[in-house]
Amino acid sequence: MPEIFGIPLTLLFGQLLVGLINGSFYAMMSLGVAIIFGMLRIGNFVHGAQYMLGAFGAWYLMNLPELLPGWGLPSIGYWGALIIVPIGVGLVGALMERLFIRRVYNLDHAYGLLLTVGLAMFIEGMFNVTYGAAGQRYDVPDALQGGVNLGFMFLPIYRAWVIVLALTVCFGTWYLIERTKLGSYLRAATENPDLVRAFGVNVPRMLMLTYAFGVGLAGMAGVMAAPIYQVGPQMGQSIIITIFAVVVIGGMGSISGAIISGLMMGLAEGLTKVFYPQASTTVVFVIMVIVLVLRPAGLFGRETTAHSTADVSSGRAGSILENGKLWFGILLAIGLVLPFTLFPIFAMKILIFALFAMAYNLIFGYVGLLAFGHAAFYGTSSYVAAHSASVLGWPPELCVLAGVSAATAIGALFGWLAIRRQGLYFAMITLALAQIIYFYALQASWTHGEDGIQSVPRGMLFGFIDLSDSMTMYFVTLTVFMGAFALIYRIIHSPFGQVLKSIRENEDRSISLGYSTNRFKLIAFTLSAMLAGLAGSMKALVFQIASLMDVFFMTSADALLMTLIGGVGTLLGPIVGAAVIVTLQTKLATFGAWVVVIQGAIFVLSVLFLRKGIVGTVEEYLANRKARRENNAVLPDKAMEPGE
Amino acid sequence: MTDTTPLLEVKNLEGWYGESKALHGINFDVHKGELVTLLGRNGAGKTSSLRAIMGMLPRKAGTIRFDGHDISNTPPERAARAGLAYCPEERGIFSSLTVAENFDLPPVVAPEGMSRKEILELFPNLERRWTSQGTKLSGGEQQMLAIGRILRTGARTLLLDEPTEGLAPVIIKQIGSVISALKKRGYTILLVEQNFRFAAKLADRFCIVEHGRVVDVIDRANLDAEKSKIQAHLGV
Repeated sequence: MPEIFGIPLTLLFGQLLVGLINGSFYAMMSLGVAIIFGMLRIGNFVHGAQYMLGAFGAWYLMNLPELLPGWGLPSIGYWGALIIVPIGVGLVGALMERLFIRRVYNLDHAYGLLLTVGLAMFIEGMFNVTYGAAGQRYDVPDALQGGVNLGFMFLPIYRAWVIVLALTVCFGTWYLIERTKLGSYLRAATENPDLVRAFGVNVPRMLMLTYAFGVGLAGMAGVMAAPIYQVGPQMGQSIIITIFAVVVIGGMGSISGAIISGLMMGLAEGLTKVFYPQASTTVVFVIMVIVLVLRPAGLFGRETTAHSTADVSSGRAGSILENGKLWFGILLAIGLVLPFTLFPIFAMKILIFALFAMAYNLIFGYVGLLAFGHAAFYGTSSYVAAHSASVLGWPPELCVLAGVSAATAIGALFGWLAIRRQGLYFAMITLALAQIIYFYALQASWTHGEDGIQSVPRGMLFGFIDLSDSMTMYFVTLTVFMGAFALIYRIIHSPFGQVLKSIRENEDRSISLGYSTNRFKLIAFTLSAMLAGLAGSMKALVFQIASLMDVFFMTSADALLMTLIGGVGTLLGPIVGAAVIVTLQTKLATFGAWVVVIQGAIFVLSVLFLRKGIVGTVEEYLANRKARRENNAVLPDKAMEPGE
Repeated sequence: MTDTTPLLEVKNLEGWYGESKALHGINFDVHKGELVTLLGRNGAGKTSSLRAIMGMLPRKAGTIRFDGHDISNTPPERAARAGLAYCPEERGIFSSLTVAENFDLPPVVAPEGMSRKEILELFPNLERRWTSQGTKLSGGEQQMLAIGRILRTGARTLLLDEPTEGLAPVIIKQIGSVISALKKRGYTILLVEQNFRFAAKLADRFCIVEHGRVVDVIDRANLDAEKSKIQAHLGV
């Protein structure tokens, strides 16, 4: 058998083919994401779910007679699905744009991302409830069965068809956008939607159609994928983060960049599978890191000057709700009573997630950076602490120290990479970086893959405090929590914290005042990672387990959701949010698979109706009341003035 | 002054950007075939008035009537379809489009638009740059492209926002002659200017805008008598 570098050629070509197939899907998907981002400025996280809808659409059409018996419907095969499904998924997309996405155009990028994350959770959760995680079979259509022997390898006809069709669709889309009149409207509206509107083009409708088109591409990719991969609820979730990384590599706003980097990343994965299989799941993210260091705008991207940070905070300086000394006392009092009214383990869960959310709030609420990978710090710390305790037998204080140190180091590295880009990019990059940690934890031997590190001993704190007692553990956790609360309060009220807030409000102005804002952002990011790590290692001790869930992106989404529901950029918001979400999760645990659906719905609803969060809403009420009182106080004086 | 109803009528127009109020009750009208200029200093509310007429201001109050219809609350695309053509101050040339694509971008809204040939006779420079990227043009060429492309659409009322800003005197002269040619062709033009000497040669009426209000309207006939007053308004 012919070989190259000791690798059989058939294996090499086989993997390159697999890579090219994956690359074709990456290209079609990232093309859709890139178009949608370019026109709508929305990071369409629900793209994966829409791809999954496409695959299920094909499966439904195939099984129409069994799904709706008695209707006399025919079974519609692959070819029919290839036409009907993209249109159907596109229509669903148009409806979603109309109902939800349109409402966040004028808001910060953060809300678009949150909204689409919520929609993805909702849709994928619904399918999970209905079909379970197992995949459904979808056969290759008869006309494309079999394959050809090319001499050096066997080429299944269906795979060749997928590559040809995907390339045709991608090229066609590129031509449509870059070379036609319709495309010129799209490009112009990407630059200056207001002016294109003022020329008489119905831009809102165009945005809806663009979204439907991008989503239709995902639906089509789903149909094409159905005979290759299993049709399952998780198929979209496993691809979307890679797609985001591909879009970052290609460079936002570049249509050809998305297509070319999609194909290249597929091939890169294939090659890695041949030469170093362990890295094949992370190679795309590693390439993304390299591209970010060398060419921050992406391989084909233009430097975008999107506004840098998101001021979505609902805190109000000087409010009673921001009085740290007062609330330190109140929280401490509540904390001391809590274990006597709730199960200590439940109370500790609230404290840990509150700490995690407070850490997240430090970067999102006070600096305005939409980080979306805090699970990496939380999870890494959890694993390191668990490993130190169970394998190395270290005492708990050293375990926590080790965990926090690991999280801080990773935080500094990720922060250094990510602060090169802003806005939605920042979210996508932190998400992709966190994914490297996730795949590492999945594969490394010391993290024990799907099992995680179980039965972590809590040990003796400082050699004499026995943590195996739940009450003792609780009060130690409370002490750590109160310490972190005080620290964060100190940070945000220090001169350093004031600079952070000024960056959030107007980064350019802070720069012109002479602050090296990137350095401030990096320090804040590292601090936030450190505190997230503190939450993670405490979690490992309290629950005596470190698992993949800790590094999973949903954990990052949880931190974001808690912060949002509580009130972004407020002192108490993350704590209130954590209490609400942890309570909900516990109450909903009996609903099993529905939890994700409900959580997705909460995401969507809070983006649409509760953007200020609970604390922010109370804050608004207090501010209005104060304004009313002041007006009342002023009115009598006014009445004395003669005339107007 | 004709006794017919004006083509464009703006009454008590108020406008806001977020919390800050930019227009405090603008009143003026433009008759068919007239060239009216809004003169005023930076920040007086001239551009905001144009944007409000086009429906591009986020928040506004008051009445705007055009061609017999109330367009106070129509979205920009409907205002454009009604026959208003807008040439923004920053010219709005799209960098991801070629000159040709920029030229063909605004949709045709009425039949009697000028042909490409006629427009290129007015702006001969554009033809040589036909396949260049839009923003590779010089400032003057960009201004010509910005005016040229709205003549294609068939709209007969032009809103021109400071077409002379930042341009060389020889280009300003060329643009001035194009505007007077357009007036001769029967176009109705609302011109926003800071450059009084430029506007003085072209306009039928001068509306002085100050602090978001029209403080004075001067007919061309009284221009010489009122010149010092206008200078005082515009003088820094």
